[in-house]
Amino acid sequence: MAPETFNLSQGTPLLAHSFNADRSQVAVSFNSKDAQILTRSGSSWTPTELLAEHDKVITSIDWAPQSNRIVTASQDRNAYVWQETPDPETGKIVWKPTLVLLRINRAATYVRWSPNEDKFAVASGARAIAVCSFDPENNWWVSKHLKKPIRSTVLAIDWHPNNVLIAAGSADMKARVFSAYIKEVDAKPPPTVWGSKLPFNTICGEYTSPSGGWVHAVAFSPSGDAMAFASHDSSITVVYPSSGVCTVKMVSLPAMTLTWTSEQSIIAAGHDCQPYVFSGNEGGWEGVGTLDDVTGPKAGGAARPGVGKLNSAAFNTFRSADSRGQSSSGAGSEVQLLTTHQNSITSVRPYEFSGGVVSKVSTSGLDGRLVIWDANEVSAVSTKLGGLSV
Amino acid sequence: MEGAFRKIDVDIYDEDVLQEHELYEPDSRDPAAVLDDARAKQTSVRSALNKGDTVSALSLALSDYPFGLNVDDAKVIALQVVLSILNTTKSTDIPNVLKALTPEQHDVLMKYIYKGMASSGSDVNGNILLDWHEKLTEIAGLGCIVRTMTDRKTV
Repeated sequence: MAPETFNLSQGTPLLAHSFNADRSQVAVSFNSKDAQILTRSGSSWTPTELLAEHDKVITSIDWAPQSNRIVTASQDRNAYVWQETPDPETGKIVWKPTLVLLRINRAATYVRWSPNEDKFAVASGARAIAVCSFDPENNWWVSKHLKKPIRSTVLAIDWHPNNVLIAAGSADMKARVFSAYIKEVDAKPPPTVWGSKLPFNTICGEYTSPSGGWVHAVAFSPSGDAMAFASHDSSITVVYPSSGVCTVKMVSLPAMTLTWTSEQSIIAAGHDCQPYVFSGNEGGWEGVGTLDDVTGPKAGGAARPGVGKLNSAAFNTFRSADSRGQSSSGAGSEVQLLTTHQNSITSVRPYEFSGGVVSKVSTSGLDGRLVIWDANEVSAVSTKLGGLSV
Repeated sequence: MEGAFRKIDVDIYDEDVLQEHELYEPDSRDPAAVLDDARAKQTSVRSALNKGDTVSALSLALSDYPFGLNVDDAKVIALQVVLSILNTTKSTDIPNVLKALTPEQHDVLMKYIYKGMASSGSDVNGNILLDWHEKLTEIAGLGCIVRTMTDRKTV
């Protein structure tokens, strides 16, 4: 089955997306200060609600499936928790924002609810992660900071299934595992492979990207016994705290986001505009293919040789300037990539589960497209180089 | 005059500033040992090249390479060694030589190719470097180039 592609914004970048529990609605950030909620009707998405409260671009959105609350993080250094409540005057159900006291002095970059949905963590450019929990006495969300030993902007976080541990990827080229234990909220967690005594801000592991790239994405495996991260040196690293570290050096451009689909499988996507599939275990990991069958016929896709960014409009502009002395792009400046996404993928998330594993994933990209992929339809990468013609 | 304000190093007022040596794991050898290693490698690479064994000459030159601070002399020698191998390899042999190398060695070789392109000297031949670059990219992909750009362990 071909992936379901939705062109949500005709080219405005999608920075983040998050579906509700039954996948009938999706909250997205169109690189703007408002989050848009879209509702599915058949094969299209209609804008239904606008979450307008932030002053600057919303960088990350997470929709809690059980409690049906949305949290948004923005460059204005704030986060809001949105909850559906009846309007006191009209009785109409509206999304009501609650401000979160993050106490950070730089942009918030990433936000995720904990598995129990009683906490969430906000990554930021202030070299800190704000772990937030609800204070019922004052009726607001308060935060505690994870600071040491982070040396630069935190770019991504992920929660361990035990609701206590948190993985963070940062621009200081390291991925770390912290304890985000809040005694007002959490029961004492049982020991894990990451450690047994876990007071707040315990550092359970620190791992450097193999060739010094920013760590763009982190994720715990479904069991929480392994952690994977993608870094800007075009590599995927899987950490098993008990047995060691496995690294896959990709031939393609760096991944920006990744998700586990089972204990032995990871999907990563980024600047190469297509989701790659990796599989492995403690013994080692390798790339097995892509979800985007770029060799097959594609409706609307131009049959041009070459896949990936090198066949981009900008590249062709420079190439024609070089070989033919043409300074302006002229005819055919908008080149279509053979991949489904026409620009970098910003986020890949699980969409559908069957039998304990992820059977479908969703991706959003800078091309404004939202795509739902069958996670099991893996095809071989067409050429090792993605069609680079040198 | 208009750029004078840029001469102030604001980083010295930041206690928490990230230093260059903190960006990667430093070499465990001290600089003198690195220089000795580079000289010893020069000799063994030469003898491997005389036997016509390009693969082992190249894998020797690309392992335990000098990187980081305070090893500039060793870096000069190491670049010469790698360039001497690249210059003496027949163009038709390049793909097979590259296939015999590990992905780690591909990354290091890419660093030396870019370093070679950035240097000037009688042993730098742009044509040959471009040829190696093209064939290395065919095998190791764009990822290899990205890793060369991100890696602070410069050669």
